[in-house]
Amino acid sequence: MKRKISVILSLLFLFILFWAQWNWKHLSSFPSIISSFYSKEYCSCYFVMQLSEEQCHDFARQWVPISEFKLDKENMSVTVKGLGRTNTAKFLSKEYGCTLVTE
Amino acid sequence: MKRSLIFLLLLTFVHCGKDLSPFGGEPEITTLKPRLKPEWPNPNWKVVSPESVGVSSTKLGLVEEYAFTRTGDETDRKGRRTDALVILRNGKLIYEKYARNFSEDKIHLTWSVSKSILQTMYGIAVKEGLVKLDDPGYYHYEPLSRDEAHKKITIRHLLNMSSGLAAEEGYESGPLKSSVIAMLYTRGRKDMGAFCAGLPLRAEPGTQVYYSSCDTNILSAILKKVYGAEEYDKLPFEKIFKPLGITNVTFERDGSGTYVGSSYLYMTAKDLAKIGYLYLNDGVWNGERLLPEGWVQFTRTPAPGYKTTPYSEDLDQDNYTAHWYANTGVPERGVHEPWPDAPKDTFAGLGHWGQMLYVIPSLDLIIVRFGDDREKAFIKNDFLKLVKESVIR
Repeated sequence: MKRKISVILSLLFLFILFWAQWNWKHLSSFPSIISSFYSKEYCSCYFVMQLSEEQCHDFARQWVPISEFKLDKENMSVTVKGLGRTNTAKFLSKEYGCTLVTE
Repeated sequence: MKRSLIFLLLLTFVHCGKDLSPFGGEPEITTLKPRLKPEWPNPNWKVVSPESVGVSSTKLGLVEEYAFTRTGDETDRKGRRTDALVILRNGKLIYEKYARNFSEDKIHLTWSVSKSILQTMYGIAVKEGLVKLDDPGYYHYEPLSRDEAHKKITIRHLLNMSSGLAAEEGYESGPLKSSVIAMLYTRGRKDMGAFCAGLPLRAEPGTQVYYSSCDTNILSAILKKVYGAEEYDKLPFEKIFKPLGITNVTFERDGSGTYVGSSYLYMTAKDLAKIGYLYLNDGVWNGERLLPEGWVQFTRTPAPGYKTTPYSEDLDQDNYTAHWYANTGVPERGVHEPWPDAPKDTFAGLGHWGQMLYVIPSLDLIIVRFGDDREKAFIKNDFLKLVKESVIR
């Protein structure tokens, strides 16, 4: 019985490994989604749509919580950390709004 | 031999029940009548009472109740959450209301309604003779020349959401493999057009309708090459917004300075209505033709790729034309009109989380609704039915 379980577990592990390798390009960029989405959408919500800080948090919030947040009103930028990745979005101008600052 | 016979048999069974045959003749799209007494909003819309243009205020009250009654939890962002509603008849403003901190001079994210305005930019490029609808994209944009299959993608295919590129448009539903999320926030954000042009093909270009933000951002990148970066930067502002008297507007760009035509245009509700009015007037503004003859006709015609798109459950929700939507079904394939209680000639630009621009030529109506619906509680057909019923003559 014990042997059966360990065989199943190793097969499962192998399957996950195979799946992860197969989907590596998706998996490797995935953690960045949380902070890039939050920073970009918050930046646009606050500096472009000019809604309140509270409304913009509601607007940008996702299922996965963020760990750090910094709204820099002077430099008109928003920096967010989530799932170990940090991203910054910056307000450029009235015409062109916010853009994620390339890492 | 036996094996291939079995394979063929299996293939037949797999396709059982899926009608892949072309649907009937050409769709009936009536031409728009020229406006006898246009009321051009220069720069603002004329405000009149609903009754003076044949609309019942009492019935409009029901529209307001539908749009502005909060039905869900605000912190969980559930239910119907309207931010703005503007209704125009005969070129005059008859209804205007805002909520959730929005006002007449605050711009709102239009999400995918941006696609319909990117299409307006193409109308202008076609009128200026810089591009032709059937030009292969690679004529203007090198990343589409990566192989013979990609070289077959034309501008028309891209406008019809029929490039055949294997994009995944899932937003919240499947974030891991969603190419739209990767395009906007991770792997594609530096240069969305190039990221999208690098996708493999899932179908022969022109044969399958698949709603894809990638198609739009490739179009946007093509325009940048066609005009050159400097002129492209000014293009929407100089050639669309300025003539229409739109000054309060933001159009965000990707890391390479290409307009995110799929998603990031911000406008006020009353200014977005001007785009609707341009299309209601067959591409003419203030007596001047901005969009080429036949462009609005093209805008209202369903994508030919529906004829060969494999049947799916989502098919009847799309009804995509050329970066706009039309209230035309495909009866031969069991695809009904998306808004059966609205007039048949209704066409629209629609965006994520409840952004809507409706143009109804037969009733001379334009409706702009902005919202932040995080679930499907705002039923477009129910809403349009109420608007239609408010028209008394």
